[in-house]
Amino acid sequence: MPIKSKLLALAATAMIAMISPSLAADWKPDGPLKIQIGFGAGGSTDTMGRVLANEMEKQTGWTIVVENKPGAGGVAMFTGISQMPANGKTIGMGVSIPVMVQLVQRGDQLPFDLDSFDYLGTVAKAELALVASKDAPFDDLEGMVAYAKEKSTMPVAIMAPPQILMMKQTMKTTDAKFDLVTADGGAEVMKLILGGQVLAGFGSGEQLPYLESGDMKVIASANQSRLSYAPDAKTFIESGVNAYVEPVFFLAARKGTDPAAVAAIAAAIDAAVQSPAVAKIVKNATNGSPLNMGTDGTRKMMFDGLDNAKILFAQ
Amino acid sequence: MRFTADRVSGTLFLALGLALYFLIIPNYVESVTDGNISPDMMPNSLSLILALCGALLVFKPTLHSTQTMRSFAITAAYVFILTAGIYAMSLFGFVYVGPAVALAIMLMIGERRPIWLVAGVVAMPALIWFLVVQVLGRALP
Amino acid sequence: MVDLSIILAGFSDAFSLTNLLFVLFGVVLGQFVGAVPGIGPIMAMAIAIPFTFALSPIVAISFLVGVNKGGLVGGAVPAILMNTPGTPDAAATALDGYPLAKQGKPLKATKMALFSSITGDTFSDIVLITVSAPLAVLALKMGPIEIAALMIFTFSVLAGLMGSSLIKGLIAAVLGLLVACIGSDPENFTPRLIFGYWDLFDGLPLPSVAIGVLAISEILHRMSESFGRVRPAIEFVESDDPDQDRVTWAEYWGCRFTMLRGAVIGTILGALPGIGSTAAAFMSYAFAKASSKDPSSFGKGNLHGIAASESANSAVMGANLIPLLTLGIPGSVGAALIVSAFMIHGMQPGPLLFENQGRLVYGLFGAMLMANFLNLWVGQIGLRLWVKVVSAPESIIFSSALLLCFVGVAMATSGLFGVAIMLIFAVLGYLLSSFGYSLVIFIIAFFLGPRFEKSIAQSLALTNGDLTQAYQSPVAVALLILSVVSFFWFLKRNAAVEKEQNS
Repeated sequence: MPIKSKLLALAATAMIAMISPSLAADWKPDGPLKIQIGFGAGGSTDTMGRVLANEMEKQTGWTIVVENKPGAGGVAMFTGISQMPANGKTIGMGVSIPVMVQLVQRGDQLPFDLDSFDYLGTVAKAELALVASKDAPFDDLEGMVAYAKEKSTMPVAIMAPPQILMMKQTMKTTDAKFDLVTADGGAEVMKLILGGQVLAGFGSGEQLPYLESGDMKVIASANQSRLSYAPDAKTFIESGVNAYVEPVFFLAARKGTDPAAVAAIAAAIDAAVQSPAVAKIVKNATNGSPLNMGTDGTRKMMFDGLDNAKILFAQ
Repeated sequence: MRFTADRVSGTLFLALGLALYFLIIPNYVESVTDGNISPDMMPNSLSLILALCGALLVFKPTLHSTQTMRSFAITAAYVFILTAGIYAMSLFGFVYVGPAVALAIMLMIGERRPIWLVAGVVAMPALIWFLVVQVLGRALP
Repeated sequence: MVDLSIILAGFSDAFSLTNLLFVLFGVVLGQFVGAVPGIGPIMAMAIAIPFTFALSPIVAISFLVGVNKGGLVGGAVPAILMNTPGTPDAAATALDGYPLAKQGKPLKATKMALFSSITGDTFSDIVLITVSAPLAVLALKMGPIEIAALMIFTFSVLAGLMGSSLIKGLIAAVLGLLVACIGSDPENFTPRLIFGYWDLFDGLPLPSVAIGVLAISEILHRMSESFGRVRPAIEFVESDDPDQDRVTWAEYWGCRFTMLRGAVIGTILGALPGIGSTAAAFMSYAFAKASSKDPSSFGKGNLHGIAASESANSAVMGANLIPLLTLGIPGSVGAALIVSAFMIHGMQPGPLLFENQGRLVYGLFGAMLMANFLNLWVGQIGLRLWVKVVSAPESIIFSSALLLCFVGVAMATSGLFGVAIMLIFAVLGYLLSSFGYSLVIFIIAFFLGPRFEKSIAQSLALTNGDLTQAYQSPVAVALLILSVVSFFWFLKRNAAVEKEQNS
């Protein structure tokens, strides 16, 4: 065990050396490093965050404390982070889309913008799919739109604001009418589809066992590109509706954090994201593979994403 | 205090219901253009029911009476200590403030025996610190 | 379906010595942590999960099952011994548990809670193990319209707890619902009444409100009464009667129908995601009281009251696993934590779980049964210990309980912000109960409010804005009729009890 952890520490140090040769090599948190998770205990962000923290702790030997700060899909947590001193003691983990939606819709009420943070890296990308019961009389978005027009309206289960906006965009583009049934998370969407109360709804991973068992089928990918597990299903964009969301699990710290600290923490995150334990939990939670865009990549992803969200979601 | 307790609380709820309906809800609830149930539907109807029930209670109070004013005053003192404790914790942390709060409360209840005071002021906070920080690896407030 | 050999292999995995030790450890931890004021059973699970990272799947899940079940028993302890329930469902247990403890029978009260909790739990476990698949299909048929009707039925049952003044009961309920409006609205996700505090966007943190209103407000009352005089927190009455400290077989058997009804209510509500143990506990309590020959003895230490509440809220947890295992839908926060543990250990709850991981599922079932036995055994010892602890002077009990609530709520919510909310609600709860408003009704309304509004919004979306279409659902119609009937029946019962007491 000690040899293994030494090797890992060595690997982590090598990582740091690669990312920023001059800085960071000696930085370590003064006291415990706090990772705040913008969601409550028991969800996929929480679970991934805890496994990531556990892995970082094992690899670096730092003491890492994980806290849940739920509220508005991470907005409450990032509000808190943006008010803290930039001392490299507290970092936040959240999902990109909910933060962007609130910034677009009520940015004037928020005490932060994207420039308030130093970005540390990402853990994974969530794939968002529009799925339907296997008995639904349509197989793609065009078919669903035609069906809704035929029936004059059709209920669709959604679970978060971006999906409301995507469906509104669909209605605007196609003139079909959908009744949006707001569910409490992906699991409830699945329940509504399985129970026959709605024909279609959005899932960010909860649908996978049902796709495997054949109880459901993928109608469209709500991401920018097609889904890894259903390459035949077209995206909304390909189906003529110009809308997509790309939720990414990312980590950030307060702007102005010591660059050495940013580099060291980013390197620790990068090493942990590559571990088998994180790969396993990402696989279980999103059906995808771990993905770290690095500090600059994460920053770019957030700014580009916000520009896109402004176009899509500003009404 | 015969009859008056319910009249006092009824008046308060009447006022609260009206304040919510006319002042607070219009200012702190956003309106949306579409959807099936507007965000202010539920709070608005509840605040009206609250005001109505408050008014009814003023006219038809029960025989309920509250405890004495002295008892309210004592509670206010305890609440003051706890409030000050939370504020102080945000500045100095649980490790310093927790024992002080415990000491104040134990003294107010009337505890004077040193052994119990030591148990409540030193041993108990130390035990909490040990369990939370050392065993669970979490941070104290 | 599932091979017998897989079932046997699963059970034999569960009954290994390592597993036994971990379940035992889990039960002890759950009972202990669950009983600490301000921490409670859900927190016990959240604390335990990180410790399972290094364990093998079956051991990890068995351990968590132990913590969960231990927590159910532990949660009743502060409710009974100090009248400071940490969760809304335990508040129903306090209604009769605390009066009985005050009569000098704390051991009898806690033991009754232990026995009925395990009875209800075992009942729902057996339902889970034998008929979970068909039950899950039935649960799926309960759509938003049916759930909305069920919520209305639950509210009508609250009439059974209203006490003397209908207006004041109504005010308590409306106030609870109003407070529940704080946070994002259930359809459009707009921030509502959050006054710029984004931490409130997901609603007021339940632990802050529940512990503030139920536990701290009670401590404030008791501290103001005992100002300047130090007494033990609970008094033992010395007696030669050995039955005072135990539950006799006749007493247990006398509650069999109450417990059975509680277990059935808990199992049904537990199988429906999102209703939860609070509604089950109070519904069971209200029915036990209304169907009793002596309803006026409820609230004064009636064993049936404890049995009704504990059997129902414990049955919920086992039944929660029905939609969880078969459909992957967690029915409560506790269940969501179990899903997260499943994910960490590579299990995917859902339609293929029994096929792909049958051995692990039956291992889990084995662990559940084992945990029930251990719970009984550990509880017998643990309860004596707690009763001893609580017989310490009030000064140290109250100051320690307050510190623990501070720390526990800070850990369970967003730090001191959650603690400040707890104190605000403690003062509110203190004032409400001083002026004769039912805290229990307030807290149930607060707890059910968001789900109620959400299911109404969903029903509106499904019926195209025309709720009268609900007549097409026979279940919803039956529940609505039942609501009207039970509302007036409960009111009549209340009036009868009132009259009896006045004469």
